[in-house]
Amino acid sequence: MTMDLVEQMNEQEKRKYVKGKKLGEGTYANVYLGHARHDAGVLVAIKKIKVQKEYKDGLAPDAVRELKHLQELLGHPNIISLLSVFSSKDQNLNLVLEYLPLGDLEMLIRDVDRVRYGTADMKAWMGMLTRAVWFCHDNFVLHRDIKPNNLLIAANGEVKLADFGLARSFADPGTRMTANVITRWYRPPELLFGARHYSGAVDIWSVGLVFAELVLRAPFLPGNTEVDQINLICRQIGTPTEDNWPGVTQLKEYTVPSEVVPVWGKDAYMSRFGGAGSDGVDLLVRTLALDPKNRITAREMLEHRWWRTDPRPTRNEDLPRKSAGGEEKAAVDLSRRNGVVDDGARGTKVARKLDFGAAR
Amino acid sequence: MATEDARYRLSSQYRLWSFSRAELASLREKSNSLARASISERLSRASSSSEKNNNDRSASTSNANTPDPDGASFRLPEFLTVADESLMTTFYTTQLLGAGSATGLSDEICATAAAFFRRFYITNSIMTYSPQDMMIVALFFACKAEGWFTRVTDFLKMGSFRSLKKQPEDILAGEFLFCQGIRFAFDVRHPFRPLIGAGMELRRLGDIKEERIRAAEERAKSILRFSSLVTDAYFHYTPSQIMLAALSLADRELAERLIHETFHHITPPANKGTPTNGGDGAPNDSHQPKGQNKEAIIGQQIRDKVLGTIEACREMMAHEMPERSKEHWQSKDMYQDLILPIKKKLKKCRDPDRSNLVALQRARREEALKKGDSDDGDPEDRGGTVDDDAAVFGEAARDAKRRKVAKGLDDPFGGPL
Repeated sequence: MTMDLVEQMNEQEKRKYVKGKKLGEGTYANVYLGHARHDAGVLVAIKKIKVQKEYKDGLAPDAVRELKHLQELLGHPNIISLLSVFSSKDQNLNLVLEYLPLGDLEMLIRDVDRVRYGTADMKAWMGMLTRAVWFCHDNFVLHRDIKPNNLLIAANGEVKLADFGLARSFADPGTRMTANVITRWYRPPELLFGARHYSGAVDIWSVGLVFAELVLRAPFLPGNTEVDQINLICRQIGTPTEDNWPGVTQLKEYTVPSEVVPVWGKDAYMSRFGGAGSDGVDLLVRTLALDPKNRITAREMLEHRWWRTDPRPTRNEDLPRKSAGGEEKAAVDLSRRNGVVDDGARGTKVARKLDFGAAR
Repeated sequence: MATEDARYRLSSQYRLWSFSRAELASLREKSNSLARASISERLSRASSSSEKNNNDRSASTSNANTPDPDGASFRLPEFLTVADESLMTTFYTTQLLGAGSATGLSDEICATAAAFFRRFYITNSIMTYSPQDMMIVALFFACKAEGWFTRVTDFLKMGSFRSLKKQPEDILAGEFLFCQGIRFAFDVRHPFRPLIGAGMELRRLGDIKEERIRAAEERAKSILRFSSLVTDAYFHYTPSQIMLAALSLADRELAERLIHETFHHITPPANKGTPTNGGDGAPNDSHQPKGQNKEAIIGQQIRDKVLGTIEACREMMAHEMPERSKEHWQSKDMYQDLILPIKKKLKKCRDPDRSNLVALQRARREEALKKGDSDDGDPEDRGGTVDDDAAVFGEAARDAKRRKVAKGLDDPFGGPL
């Protein structure tokens, strides 16, 4: 068969890279190390998306979303770069991504024994995460799956937001969206209550929980079920009521424990999150506002005084890092099915199934 | 990340799918001639092998692989011209829009489908892939790209799609090919939201009658549902330019008013102190550039350039006002006089290898299974699950040919992503 113009173009893209060893294998994709054909020093990660057994309707939603948004979110240092796309085999999509060899934020948080970090380091990581989220929102994209293992680390220490398999564009007013997004521990109360109209505030909640986890070095709200998740929120942050969140009781799946816990003030957080400093705690509390309308926005976060008070954020090259296992960890992150709570040794093994039919 | 303009230039719509008129013409030319070349080859091969089967034309069998194009034994059909292809693309875009809206798909989905469809036929010929097949693939995939993941079986039961009598395989066989054809760029920027913004801006001015604004919005919207989608407007202009052109077609004064309001703080020569600011508390004041930058960004020259661009876009869209959808594109006479003759030609010059997408897909898979992996380099994958690494389509075998074909091809889209 001779090739059409598009096939020729595909071949040209494909031939720009050489695929190397497999770094990771997951339900959604396999990840390979690769390099540019013209320069073996230019390393890339090649994510080969698998044909998904349970999705019979062509290119799967994760792949469509991820490609759609990565194509548009180019040029930000804190968002993983899509360098190229080609099909290697009939119906097998390959995404050429920048190579991020130092693992993810989860690795750093978990390795309490070997990785030490302080306020300045957290400030640097949070700064990069917040800029990434701001960029998404400023481009009218909701990420909808922010969590530590979607925050990969580049060779120079830079944090990169990855995995856009659940992302979507901002909806026009009135459009219904699925509430079934964001990994449970990082899922905001409005989604747990089944809200079908929501905003960038859902991502901000997740950012707040990543922040809390950085300080605690353990997940702040590791609910085992959705009900448990709501209970944890009520206990640790406060019970959502008409007083602190007008309209909340109208949400379809609004149910809270009968014992109403008042919303904790900043002082209550200071004892557990003092490691972030007083201004840091102020920022944290604002990201965890129950009512999404009162939650701080990404832009407001960037204007917060925490970034400008001492200590200054650590420079990228001085950030703590792990030397071993990063490459493999990042590969696992890239090949995982989106929106699933980590199946590793942390807590629950209940993987939430995505409802492909309804998910928008 | 500074201005909206800078941001737009990073979009796939700009990077991959915006062209000058000359570039666009040459791409279409190239796709057309490439299709002619490969179809000629396939048709003549088919013809000589059937001669061989007839067993009575021994003279020509020695030429089986290189038939003499001037030979009396085989005559190439008349091919579609670039103009024929253009006409067909436009005709089927109107069909696509008709089917989409009759089925109740949203404006965005219909518009995305139309944009995808026209993009696809820049690097593919109508002679290679049937527009009737691809039109429904475009609609189906546009639903997904716009975030609506409906089942293909349900999709085919919707409204007017039922009458197309398509099977799920018909769509799925073409989907990947289609995605490749649109270069895996699934985001299309439309002028619908800009139009809402324009309406708000016009109301903010306070001195225009509501009925007038509403009428202009209505008309502009119907123009944006058709005129910008069946012409090349998306390839040449930004969403806001297209919106302003549509508004100008609906109510020229209002469009010009908007533009003049945007540039109303133009000051005479820049070095006479600080330029006067809008000072009307417009919400975007803080984003307005200062000093001589300002002259370069919102000065007289730029205003005139903007006006000129919108005028040109307006002119392009004016050829296809919404009324043409019914009066022209759905008229029987038009079909008889313009489309049917091309379809007749098409019957003879259609690519024999690509007319059946389902069969094509199956053939590629089988070929791939036979040959196994080649230059793809997944050593550890080999012998893995079939459903993981379904196939290559015979890449090693095609290598030599590919190099030959690819030589003449200077990346028509410029660099990679």
